[in-house]
Amino acid sequence: MSVTKLAYYPGCPSDATAMEQDMSTKAVFEKLGVELVEVEDWNCCGAAEVEDPELVYALNARNLAIAEKEGLDIVTPCSICYYNLERSNQALKADEGLRAKVKGIDSSLDYNGKIKAKHVLDVFVNDIGLEELSSKISKKLNLKIAPYYGCYISRPPETGFDDPDDPDTMDKLIELMGGEIVPFSQMKTLCCGGPLMMTRSDIAFDMAMKILDTAKSAGADCIALACPLCGMMLDGKQADIEKALHVEIDMPVVYITQLLGLALGIDANELGLNKNVVDTKDILGKVV
Amino acid sequence: MIKTWELDPNFKEEIMNERGGEHLTACFQCSTCTLGCPIIDYVPTYNPRKIIQMSLLGMRKEVLSNPDLWVCLICQTCTARCPQDVRISDLLGAIRRIADKEAEAGKIKIESSRPIFDKAFQHQLAKYGRLYDMGLAKEYYPKREGSFFKGMMAMMNDYKDFGMRMFKKGKMGPKAMFPEKVKDLAVMKKIFEEMGEK
Repeated sequence: MSVTKLAYYPGCPSDATAMEQDMSTKAVFEKLGVELVEVEDWNCCGAAEVEDPELVYALNARNLAIAEKEGLDIVTPCSICYYNLERSNQALKADEGLRAKVKGIDSSLDYNGKIKAKHVLDVFVNDIGLEELSSKISKKLNLKIAPYYGCYISRPPETGFDDPDDPDTMDKLIELMGGEIVPFSQMKTLCCGGPLMMTRSDIAFDMAMKILDTAKSAGADCIALACPLCGMMLDGKQADIEKALHVEIDMPVVYITQLLGLALGIDANELGLNKNVVDTKDILGKVV
Repeated sequence: MIKTWELDPNFKEEIMNERGGEHLTACFQCSTCTLGCPIIDYVPTYNPRKIIQMSLLGMRKEVLSNPDLWVCLICQTCTARCPQDVRISDLLGAIRRIADKEAEAGKIKIESSRPIFDKAFQHQLAKYGRLYDMGLAKEYYPKREGSFFKGMMAMMNDYKDFGMRMFKKGKMGPKAMFPEKVKDLAVMKKIFEEMGEK
């Protein structure tokens, strides 16, 4: 295994709504023998709300430059942070004028394009690799799982690291852990509605409902995902969706890092499985 | 009806000069963007193909005041499928930024609270370097509702159950009342002064 040390970019929800994603990411990498060094004094990537690309590049140049000084590739568990880090990385690498312009703002934004930006799922499946992971997996997930990828794992194609029509990195990882994939291909890459949550919650709720409902009809024990905004919509807001749309869903939603942690034999509380809003106890009973 | 004397022949250049709008003229009007868009199930008028065509024709005012600009999810489905690499998601972002400037100048009215939200979000980053949820909500809701009191009522309505859920799970406590700040706030200020909206 070539990966031994990475710069870790947690993202803003890591100490709030998605703390279980942060906890499980750290626990899993520790178990895999990969040291995570948190990006010192990191700033927000701009999320989906900063639309000006140059502003996004400047915000992310600072985080990339801090990791570059450490000589480490940067990894994040959040799909939106990943998209912003990687598109900035590509733009800054390709455009010397842009690098100069960004550096002109402040010397701390002096990034030379020497590192890679990665999503944790990409690191697990493509860098560490399934073979290496399989040698460390000690538990079987006797679970039916709906793998939900959302937007930025596979789109846009320049930054996506999976097939935009039929992504399968998470599927492969789940199957390796003994999980069964339920029929879910129509929903895998459909947006969760999160970007409209605050301005058109009617649309956002309905979009999230489609995903939850499909997983339920397919007989899934849980939905697996890799983005805190999707997590907030599908897990955090599930009770609001049930109330607004007069339905009962009760579908557990877990981060892929939590599932990998369980398969690696890590304690459920250390993976924050008591922090997911929809109860995960039924899932834990099926990990053997 | 299109009145040719009201068209703005410079509009397409205006868009193409914004970052993200560069590929506007590559569009050959195939509608792949529109037919694959998840929003058309909810907003039947939503039609990025048409927004592009109207932009190319120079229908500046109609494009910039189209409320449908603000229901885009930025999900990148259109960008991934476009055979002409128009980068529609980025292109619509460029058009939204022009629309926002026009609205700031009082020339058009935007029928969406999305620009208020996006700006409130950016203000948190400029001030603290990280997202401060409470600060965002305290700015967004009153501005959206037009008064502090109405804003607080709307916020309570949206967040009382969610907040309690987060509190019970230990995800939102007294700590969430205060912003997480980056230490180097001076650089955040500089980034937004140099690159942010003027």
